[in-house]
Amino acid sequence: MNRVRTLQSPALVLSLLSLLWVIVIVGLFALKPSVLSVGTITTVLQFSTILALVSLGQGMVILAGGAGIDLSVGGTVSLSAVLGMLAVKAGLSPFFLPFVCIGAGTALGAFNGVLVTKLRILPLIATLGTFFVYSGVALSLTGGSAQSGVPDWLLWWGRGVLAGIPVPFLTIAIPAFAIAGVVLAWTSWGRWVYAMGFNERSARLVGIPVDRTRLILYSLSGTLAGAAALFSLAWLGSGRPNIGQNLELESLTAAMLGGIAVLGGRGGVGGVFAAVILLVTLKTGLLQLNVNTVWQVGIVGALLILVLLADRFSESWR
Amino acid sequence: MNAPFLIAKGVTKRFGALTALSEVDLEIRSGEVLALLGDNGAGKSTFIKVLAGAHSPSDGELLIDGVPVTFSSPKDAASAGIATIFQELALSENLSISENVFLGRELKRSVLGVPFLRRKEMKERVAGLLKELEAHISDPEAPVGSLSGGQRQAVAICRALNLNAKLVIMDEPTAALAVAETRKVLSLTRRLAERGCAVVLISHNIADVFEVADRIIVFRRGRKVAEKIRSDTNPEEIVSYITGAHPDVRALEKAN
Ligand SMILES: Nc1ncnc2c1ncn2[C@@H]1O[C@H](COP(=O)(O)OP(=O)(O)OP(=O)(O)O)[C@@H](O)[C@H]1O
Ligand SMILES: [Mg+2]
Repeated sequence: MNRVRTLQSPALVLSLLSLLWVIVIVGLFALKPSVLSVGTITTVLQFSTILALVSLGQGMVILAGGAGIDLSVGGTVSLSAVLGMLAVKAGLSPFFLPFVCIGAGTALGAFNGVLVTKLRILPLIATLGTFFVYSGVALSLTGGSAQSGVPDWLLWWGRGVLAGIPVPFLTIAIPAFAIAGVVLAWTSWGRWVYAMGFNERSARLVGIPVDRTRLILYSLSGTLAGAAALFSLAWLGSGRPNIGQNLELESLTAAMLGGIAVLGGRGGVGGVFAAVILLVTLKTGLLQLNVNTVWQVGIVGALLILVLLADRFSESWR
Repeated sequence: MNAPFLIAKGVTKRFGALTALSEVDLEIRSGEVLALLGDNGAGKSTFIKVLAGAHSPSDGELLIDGVPVTFSSPKDAASAGIATIFQELALSENLSISENVFLGRELKRSVLGVPFLRRKEMKERVAGLLKELEAHISDPEAPVGSLSGGQRQAVAICRALNLNAKLVIMDEPTAALAVAETRKVLSLTRRLAERGCAVVLISHNIADVFEVADRIIVFRRGRKVAEKIRSDTNPEEIVSYITGAHPDVRALEKAN
């Protein structure tokens, strides 16, 4: 047990990820020196913003245990973005766009939460189902075409860069992680999440409102997906019905790679943050080296399997 | 003798067609260790889960200080002063000792509605309790996953004390413990009773029971078949109640 603890301590996860990151950077530099520039950093952080928000939600859902997983995140992002733009098209003042996106995301996440906590459907099945529903609806509402009409002020925020760092990354991704980190480490809510994630029966016996907490976490995963959708609008200038593609795979990988135990109860959000940066750097690098996107997905998948294997081994050491 | 803290009247629990508890009447007194004995599946755990609010009885009632109560959750029972140390301990191994002791009722400071933990106070309180129990655990911040079985029982007992429990229920606290640790837990049990708590102890170990219990109740197939003051009985008699060899039990079982 002690051994597991030291092996999976946050500091170790962070240093491992940093090491991997340095390896990726050095590898990139060796293969294509021109890649390393402020522009690349900005791009990496822009792509990271979406993945970071979604992975944060994913990570907390997994952390809370009960076989928790949110496979619907990609569908939630796509549908929230599409719903936001359609609402504007239908005559809603663009001022409300942020509320529509985030509100839609929260509602879609809460629906997952209800399926899991009230109807007792296995999270894997429930969110796989809503993944198809949400992405399908996003496609059918738009016929597959991007929805334009994002107001200028939103683009100004979404495309703003401060000292090479994208403004949305500074204004939503970092605060979201900071708040989540503080709540998990310093509040009783955080203790409840860890307790129920590790041993749900005992959490129930001591009177922790397990179902309510879990419902809130699924909703929160939706909220964060909605925020990611809002950022995608503000950055890309249109609502794309497939913007959330592959996010379930990537966010899962980030959460696992970041040291969140698959079965819940162990890990923290700092690792998830580092894992997001690592993943996006890797993907951007592959893109720059003209590696086919199919391979990029394959590499992320392979990474996920590796992490699960590592987790498996650390379990059996107990 | 003082009035009982808790009275169970006709408590019955059915799981579908299976009657796990049938018409159990008993009294639990403050400052007294009451032992529940019985074969596997006799209904001991089921009975204390009713007391702890984890199961609601199919029939019968519970009175605390003479007032009828119904528990819909373990939290209700805890607010009524009943703390239960379940057979499966209900500790979170990934959290520290002090976090476990306070789990679900943390000391907190609310900032804009966000309940921030008061770690220092919790740690000090737990250090005090551990000392009082002579549990020989120096660091309240140590993860529970790193503790021995007896130390975990001590943590669970700390939890009960910290709830200011008037009744502490322990389900087989010594089942997985070696001799020295068993001694320690038994002396903790006695200390709880001396502090004025009512203690209910479930055990399969007759010698342990005779060492600490004031009163002994035997369950068999969901019914209470015997209730004895320790000084009025002996291990052989109790065993015969448990196995059903005692004439009283035979008569009772024939009658039904
Ligand atoms: N949740 C449940 N659902 C269905 N049956 C149950 C449940 N809990 C207990 N039982 C049954 O009730 C009976 C009494 O079980 P209980 O756990 O109270 O026994 P026990 O006296 O604690 O035994 P042991 O000494 O083995 O712990 C058993 O037949 C058991 O299978
Ligand atoms: Mg039992």
